[in-house]
Amino acid sequence: MTFTRVLAAAALCAAVTVPLAAHHSAAMFDDEKVVELNGTIKEMQWTNPHIWIQVVVDNQGQKTEWSVEGGSPNTLSRNGWRSNTFKFGDPVTVRVNPMKDGTAAGQFIGAKFKETGKTIGRWE
Amino acid sequence: MRTALLAAAACAIAIGVAAGQANKPASGELPDWSGVWQMVGPTVFDRASVQPQNGRAGDPGVREFPPLTDEYEAIYRKNIERIKAGTFPDPISVCGVPHGFPRIMNVPDVYEFAVTAAATYVLAENGPGIARIYTDGRKHPPAEELWGTYTGASIGHWEGDTLVFETRGLKESRDNDVIIDRTGLVLSDAARVTTRLRKASDTMLEAVMVIEDAKALKAPWKVTKQYRKMPAGTWAWDYGCAENNRNPISGSGKTLTIGPNGKPLDKNTE
Repeated sequence: MTFTRVLAAAALCAAVTVPLAAHHSAAMFDDEKVVELNGTIKEMQWTNPHIWIQVVVDNQGQKTEWSVEGGSPNTLSRNGWRSNTFKFGDPVTVRVNPMKDGTAAGQFIGAKFKETGKTIGRWE
Repeated sequence: MRTALLAAAACAIAIGVAAGQANKPASGELPDWSGVWQMVGPTVFDRASVQPQNGRAGDPGVREFPPLTDEYEAIYRKNIERIKAGTFPDPISVCGVPHGFPRIMNVPDVYEFAVTAAATYVLAENGPGIARIYTDGRKHPPAEELWGTYTGASIGHWEGDTLVFETRGLKESRDNDVIIDRTGLVLSDAARVTTRLRKASDTMLEAVMVIEDAKALKAPWKVTKQYRKMPAGTWAWDYGCAENNRNPISGSGKTLTIGPNGKPLDKNTE
């Protein structure tokens, strides 16, 4: 798949994985793997218990919507996030720990805004 | 008659003052625990015994080593195997039940500690999470009036600037509907926890908990948690867990992930 790039390597993942302070088991995520999504923001759900970032990745006309789970808005707001940090149409690169079963969903690690070059989360 | 009334009033005032003094620190003033605090470290309850060191609660194979009885060691091992299989749900994932005690002292996000003469309230942002510690002189309810609840009944008193309280009446874990942390640790309804909560420094609160449980533990289990003060002006917020819970639990105990269309994304939902 050209729209994702598996960065892999457990050592790298250990360095960039962000604990979610989740209210649920994280058994569904593969924290041995990092997937990089190049797409645009469809929506950010700034809600408890977790925020969700919907990212649409266009792979030569074939669009896939990814569901990316983050921490709680409470904790994220204390770390500089805002309810409009990700806006509709923003072109972004988002790194996630994907779901183990290959579903288009994952746990947020970090993101880079293509228009400004700014990053958020862990981006090394 | 007037003299008798005055005497009764004076007596009542004297009793009230004495009771109030008994509930306050030696300094005569309640300690200042204002502000917003955050637990130090991850949500492994007993960081002193966790293996592997720095293991995260919920990761396969991570466990602690409290002095469990054979029966509760077997329960713990069974839960650890369920975690490896991805079928050990966190009971708070349903967004309706409290963390319970002592888990409330071990949660992410932030805390506030409201100290009054009559009670101290531990307010965990990640919730619902409130622990009420009464210091108004009341006693624990007699056993026949107490039933197992998530957070139990806590009665406290002040020893200097240290709030010492005992928590009883805790709910027994039935099918893991209340846990200590996500490694799969549970206690029985015989658990009693004595906690010493104090300000260790201007920027650190410390809770030293000694857990006794005639069914689950062979010996008292001592665990220390610390809470670092956040910068002045930090906000604690509403935590409406059911607002947008996209992680329900399947019948087998698997944590599912719901997509934007409201249906599970998981390829196997059982």
